[in-house]
Amino acid sequence: MVRLADLPEYEREHLLAKNLPPLGPLPWHTTTKALSAMRFALITTAGLHFRGEPTFDFADPTFRPIAIDRNADELIMSHSSANFDRSGFSEDVNLVFPIDRFQELVADNTIGSLAEFHYSFMGAGLMPEVYARSAAQVAGLLKQDLVDAVFLTPV
Amino acid sequence: MCALSYYLEAAGILTTGISLVRENAESMQPPRSLWVPFALGRPLGKPNDTAFQHRVIDAALSLLAAPAGPVLEDFAEEAPSTPVEDAPACPVSFANPNSNAETWTARLNAEHIQLQPWYELGKRRRKGRSLVGASSSTLTEIMNRLGGLLDRDTLPTDDLKGFKLAIEDAKTFYLEALTAQPGDYSAQKVEQILWQQTQLGAGLKRFYDRFSAIPNLAIMARLIASRQAIGGATGDEIEIKSLPSKED
Repeated sequence: MVRLADLPEYEREHLLAKNLPPLGPLPWHTTTKALSAMRFALITTAGLHFRGEPTFDFADPTFRPIAIDRNADELIMSHSSANFDRSGFSEDVNLVFPIDRFQELVADNTIGSLAEFHYSFMGAGLMPEVYARSAAQVAGLLKQDLVDAVFLTPV
Repeated sequence: MCALSYYLEAAGILTTGISLVRENAESMQPPRSLWVPFALGRPLGKPNDTAFQHRVIDAALSLLAAPAGPVLEDFAEEAPSTPVEDAPACPVSFANPNSNAETWTARLNAEHIQLQPWYELGKRRRKGRSLVGASSSTLTEIMNRLGGLLDRDTLPTDDLKGFKLAIEDAKTFYLEALTAQPGDYSAQKVEQILWQQTQLGAGLKRFYDRFSAIPNLAIMARLIASRQAIGGATGDEIEIKSLPSKED
């Protein structure tokens, strides 16, 4: 578990160094749509991509699209950090990228639909502001895909 | 993750998601965030536990109904875990004659050959799924490369990214082989075996030490292993004979 009190001091200091102030005034978007009508996309900062696609650099604000019609079980990881467990992701892609769980939510009408494309970033080694440009690109792509909301997962 | 939440919400897209380090979310204040008390690398808690994963997702989706933010809620459940003593035993014994081979290249190749059938079994259990393949090299090529660097006591300063991808492929190959049998594994225990009982762990620790000693490359050491992993591996667990090095 990640309770800082349970970690060695050097790991605690490493994680606390990421305590940065908000990027600006709180953005707060609302919608009148019910959850069951919303279209979702998944976004992860786990550094995922398909085998053969460009790997992530050590510090890299770019992103990789993940098409809904690809087999997510074929996703691999090129995250630069050595400070998190990868064995769980080896067992189950949904542990990090819960695409099957969201397909199930569509099937039982909990949510409306899933985007045609989902996105993977690599969260490591950069200040938050560096992601502004690529986040804006993804926002544009999500709007083209009529996405209402995103579900974000870190590692 | 906090930065992406900020920029996407500012662009008019609702965001919700998982936070693994509560203090970071408290500080950066993404619009909606569910803190979960799970290990880093496991945002949905437990692999192959559909019901548990759905409870995590449901909790995060419920934050979309909040009238105002920032919203930071705590997930109430711990990830289901299996007692370490009930986890499957490591199927591989690393106490074999090849561990006394003269060179790193020979020892790593012997270990690779020993693990290959276990890797194949693990891959079959996972229905063909494997994370090996981030680098463009085969495991044989990777082991020869790592062994060659160790035997020459040199660092791959001209190709750090390729080196990083290669060692991640090697570590992944080992972890997937060590978890070949069905069952709930302790990630920590499997990591301990990798770092404390294998020639690869000993070799990576040597790379870690060498990079750590060079100020402008010390960051590379942190990309090889967490200090927690290295801290548990003293290097004494494996007798390293006939290691050619500048220090010898």
